Amino acid sequence: MMNSFNLITANQPAIVERLLRVIRHRGFALHSMQLSSTEQGLEIDFKVESTRAIHLLINQLEKLYDVKQISLN
Amino acid sequence: MNGAELVIQILKEKGVNRVFGYPGGAIMPIYDALYESGIEHVLSRHEQGSGFAALGYAKISGKPSVCIATSGPGATNLITALGDANFDSVPMVVITGQVSTEVMGTDAFQEIDMLGLSLAVTKHSFLVEKPEQLESIVHQAFEIAQSGRPGPVLIDLPKNIQLALIEKEDIRSTKSAAIENNQQLCKAVCKKSVADAIALLLDSKKPVFYVGGGVLTAEAETELNQLLDLLQIPAVSTLKGLGSINLDNELYLGMLGMHGNAAANHTVQECDLLVAVGARFDDRVTGKLDGFATNAKVIHFDIDGAELNKIRRADVALEGDLKCYLQVMLEDLSNFKSDPYNDWHSHILDMKKEHAWAYDKPGESIFAPKLLKDLSDKLKTPSIVTTDVGQHQMWTAQHMRFSQKARLITSGGSGTMGFGLPVALGAQFAEPESTVVVVSGDGSFMMNVQELATIKRYSLPIKIVLIDNAKLGMVKQWQQLFFEERYSETDLSDNPDFVVLAKAFDIEAETITQNNQVDAALTKMLNCKKAFLLHVKIEEKDNVWPLVPPGATNEQMMEKIYDEFI
Repeated sequence: MMNSFNLITANQPAIVERLLRVIRHRGFALHSMQLSSTEQGLEIDFKVESTRAIHLLINQLEKLYDVKQISLN
Repeated sequence: MNGAELVIQILKEKGVNRVFGYPGGAIMPIYDALYESGIEHVLSRHEQGSGFAALGYAKISGKPSVCIATSGPGATNLITALGDANFDSVPMVVITGQVSTEVMGTDAFQEIDMLGLSLAVTKHSFLVEKPEQLESIVHQAFEIAQSGRPGPVLIDLPKNIQLALIEKEDIRSTKSAAIENNQQLCKAVCKKSVADAIALLLDSKKPVFYVGGGVLTAEAETELNQLLDLLQIPAVSTLKGLGSINLDNELYLGMLGMHGNAAANHTVQECDLLVAVGARFDDRVTGKLDGFATNAKVIHFDIDGAELNKIRRADVALEGDLKCYLQVMLEDLSNFKSDPYNDWHSHILDMKKEHAWAYDKPGESIFAPKLLKDLSDKLKTPSIVTTDVGQHQMWTAQHMRFSQKARLITSGGSGTMGFGLPVALGAQFAEPESTVVVVSGDGSFMMNVQELATIKRYSLPIKIVLIDNAKLGMVKQWQQLFFEERYSETDLSDNPDFVVLAKAFDIEAETITQNNQVDAALTKMLNCKKAFLLHVKIEEKDNVWPLVPPGATNEQMMEKIYDEFI
């Protein structure tokens, strides 16, 4: 199942690695990623695929200290 | 002041009077600032020892502990302790030295990308890139470590920032106000959401409480026991929850799971409602997941929302502070009087009797379960038992009885061999008057054996019960049962002489081999005012029973009382 979501994060060192690590480790394959720097920090769009339910990933990403907002498209 | 002095100043303001660590090149300014700072530094003999000592200190003190190491190998040696603390939710602030910012990324001496390495083993991690970030980062690290589900936080601190002149801004923590607001908010949310849980409870005929380590972390034991007393609902515990349920509760069935008590496992398999409190449906608990408590509805309380509906779908999922939820449950159920669970109770008490542990093993050799039961009976409180990982750990969980005064610290999620000895150091520093006992195995003990030197250095009166079957026993057990007795690399018959080894560190020690020596040896060890190592030789063939085999459900336990032969 393919899912898309949008993240707003603080612009901190290693934030992109943190996100990608959680996506991989929790069993999701990355299909696309678009990143832009904004006044709020970073805004990132992800498209991921997995046999696992997307809430399992969203719940883990929400726990990351630098993640400010997640919305599932 | 310089950056290093600023860090030490903030630690003092936060009430940190003891830190654990090991010095080295890139962390020297911090060690210089520590010198004559008034903060006591506990020197281990390996950074992993420092990390685990800090973990033990945090578990017993209930506050974030601080551990310090240098860059490169000093930092990588902390990874195992960080991973363990992360898995088992222990609050720690770990400071690692880093090469100066101008040479970072040039493969400088003892440079390693510790921020990159930390991502999988910490709750959060910081790299201090500029001097002006330092003060805020140290405050944030403490807040993150102890908020919500606790965990370890890393601060990677380049040497030039430790040496940079920094003006202290006196950032005040807003935590206490935040906590108070949070508690009020939590209570309101709990009140609203707990109604569905209570409706399920009142509707069930065969409920069970499944209690995890979250109860101890939330310091919610009192509320939990009041609720269990009020509702008269049977309860089982995970490995990490041991010690939270009152031992005089006759409906408490002990540990469930792979090496759980059969009565605990059967009760959960038969229940119609499972109330999970601060537990996370770990695979060592559930066995084959789609065969776990198949007829049960689930109420799941956890402070970590990501644990809800992760492994097992909950009919009622409640995210938040367990203490708060249990208080609200108590208030809302205060008029609960009737006992609708009578049939269920008598069935459970019958099972508890049927599956009670047996200790009357024939023969003269020492039976580790009996020895551990005797140790538990003799241990004066307050006491703290730490374990390593393997057969001795499961025997300890099964046969020692833990409470709020006889506490267990064991490596749960991570399952780290070498955990027991260094964790005991930290526990003894946190409670110098308590009896601290390490229960170890001959495999695990050698993994952090260098910390005997720390016992000697600080004259710590730690007791070590070293259960020796000259094997990597748990792996051997699986080879015997599931790998056609192909004993690949599990023979340790060339172990050192453990008594001579202990004596090399001025630790009194003796070996026992017969069951008629146990009583006197345990008494001698516990009465000894100094450190003592009791080396206990057991039979190689003794295995841990019961055992839920891989791929089986929890009612398909392999049960055996004693092992007659291999």
